[in-house]
Amino acid sequence: MHLLSRKRKETFVKILCFLVTAAVIIPLLWIIGDVIYNGLAAWNISFLVSPVIQGGIGNAILGTFIINGMACLFGIPLGVLTGMYLSEYGQEGWFASMVRTTVESLSGIPSLILGLFAYATIIIALSQSATDRHYTAIASALALGLMMIPLVGKATEESMRVISNDIREAAIALGVPKWIRTTRIVLAIAKGGVLTGSLLAFARISGETAPLLFTALFSNFWPTGINQPMASLQVLIYNYALSGYPNLVTQAWGAALFLALIVVAINIIVRVYTKPKYKEGF
Amino acid sequence: MQTKLDVQDLNAWFYQKQALKNVNVKIPEKMVTAVIGPSGCGKSTFIRCINRMHELVPGAKVSGKVLLDGADIYGTMDPMDVRRKVGMVFQKPNPFPNMSVADNVVAGLKLLGTYKKQELSELSDANLKSVGLWEEVKDDLKKSGASLSGGQQQRLCIARALAMNPEVILMDEPSSALDPASTAKIEELVKKLKNETTVIIITHNVQQAARISDMTAFFYLGELIEFDQTANIFESPKNQLTERYITGRFG
Ligand SMILES: Nc1ncnc2c1ncn2[C@@H]1O[C@H](COP(=O)(O)OP(=O)(O)OP(=O)(O)O)[C@@H](O)[C@H]1O
Ligand SMILES: [Mg+2]
Repeated sequence: MHLLSRKRKETFVKILCFLVTAAVIIPLLWIIGDVIYNGLAAWNISFLVSPVIQGGIGNAILGTFIINGMACLFGIPLGVLTGMYLSEYGQEGWFASMVRTTVESLSGIPSLILGLFAYATIIIALSQSATDRHYTAIASALALGLMMIPLVGKATEESMRVISNDIREAAIALGVPKWIRTTRIVLAIAKGGVLTGSLLAFARISGETAPLLFTALFSNFWPTGINQPMASLQVLIYNYALSGYPNLVTQAWGAALFLALIVVAINIIVRVYTKPKYKEGF
Repeated sequence: MQTKLDVQDLNAWFYQKQALKNVNVKIPEKMVTAVIGPSGCGKSTFIRCINRMHELVPGAKVSGKVLLDGADIYGTMDPMDVRRKVGMVFQKPNPFPNMSVADNVVAGLKLLGTYKKQELSELSDANLKSVGLWEEVKDDLKKSGASLSGGQQQRLCIARALAMNPEVILMDEPSSALDPASTAKIEELVKKLKNETTVIIITHNVQQAARISDMTAFFYLGELIEFDQTANIFESPKNQLTERYITGRFG
């Protein structure tokens, strides 16, 4: 009797778990299916390679990569240095705890606020007057780069911290100074984790729209430099989806599919890369 | 007997806990000195004071002098220089997993200095030969140092310490994590090493101390109880504690 009721309970829990999982997975599959179905309807070669002015999204694709690339140029080195500091130098003391708190706060700041910060510092500083704002992709990159710092920093710190102290001691015993030990031994061993963290941070900022809306703004043309307004997939989707014109809404789906592919591709690369290797050697 | 290391009134602490109490000893040059004693008696702390690694542990403190060829390593010497002159091999083999076998051997030189590629490669080969690893790894020089067997890794670590051309080499139970065959190879190597350098080796295995060392130091509760030629320690120990320890009655 007792056993039976126990078995029943177990079955009940199993069914409940299944239903909850389904409740999570179904909307996800629905979204993915929707994006693929509607997105593919917009896709053809010229859609992907011509600029907005000619009815394509080519300049927005390029713009997203340029803005993300600039964000990486600034976010990854600062993130790595921060992580390195926290793992190897900042175990205790007021400065370390200040850095730690700052990084944690930074990761909690809404991206909209980071965009506002970039707007307030760069756009307003570069503008002639309140009616003639100088919008620039550099400001977008600043906002996205700031977002990357805590992501890359945490990944770096964690992948350095798990390295056995035996390795550090081996380098100390050889009389290797701390800076060289940290960069050429500990960071070198942790580089897989740093790379993974950087890729995931790249994927993360690829979806951010708010900080781009009032910094890089948009452009219908191929970019000719970085210090100018620039199209991005995110802002294109935002503008087109709200436009109300059926053909633009279709194009928004097409852009969404491309953006989704970037994120999925990065996640697959990370998966393959971090899969445990049984091969010996490197 | 030329004195290589002259340890005078050495005390060491971890926070409030005193791990070494007034140790005085003269370690002879180009000989193997074994350090024995029960677990927790301060053996590791003692050798880590000789390459200034003890002070890196949180709460660590040291007092006293350690003269290397007459110069106090706690004086004006840079701790990094001390560690280049006094090499160390650890209980657990710790090759750098991001470096090849060949690069591991010359890791210290490579990270520190301005050696030419050719010089490094020659030094790497030579040191692999002197630890008897060359024949086993000569086709795998480009593989990761971490891909070797435990015993091979430990000999790689010895080669890495030797490549710095140290005046003293400290070993903290270098074979305790290894199988008997690998242990025998390490022991052969230690006996050979004293032609070139001064060796101080910690061992938990008193038979090993008897087999490979010229001098033996017995520690108990942070104190150096007895230091003498190994033959004397094993045949006619002067202290009761020493006798009880080497006959296996405690520890
Ligand atoms: N990091 C540390 N912090 C605090 N106390 C420590 C630390 N390392 C060692 N001790 C203490 O110092 C004393 C000496 O330790 P040490 O490691 O030198 O002993 P040992 O003789 O090498 O022992 P074993 O044979 O187990 O390796 C011990 O009582 C130990 O508990
Ligand atoms: Mg020990």
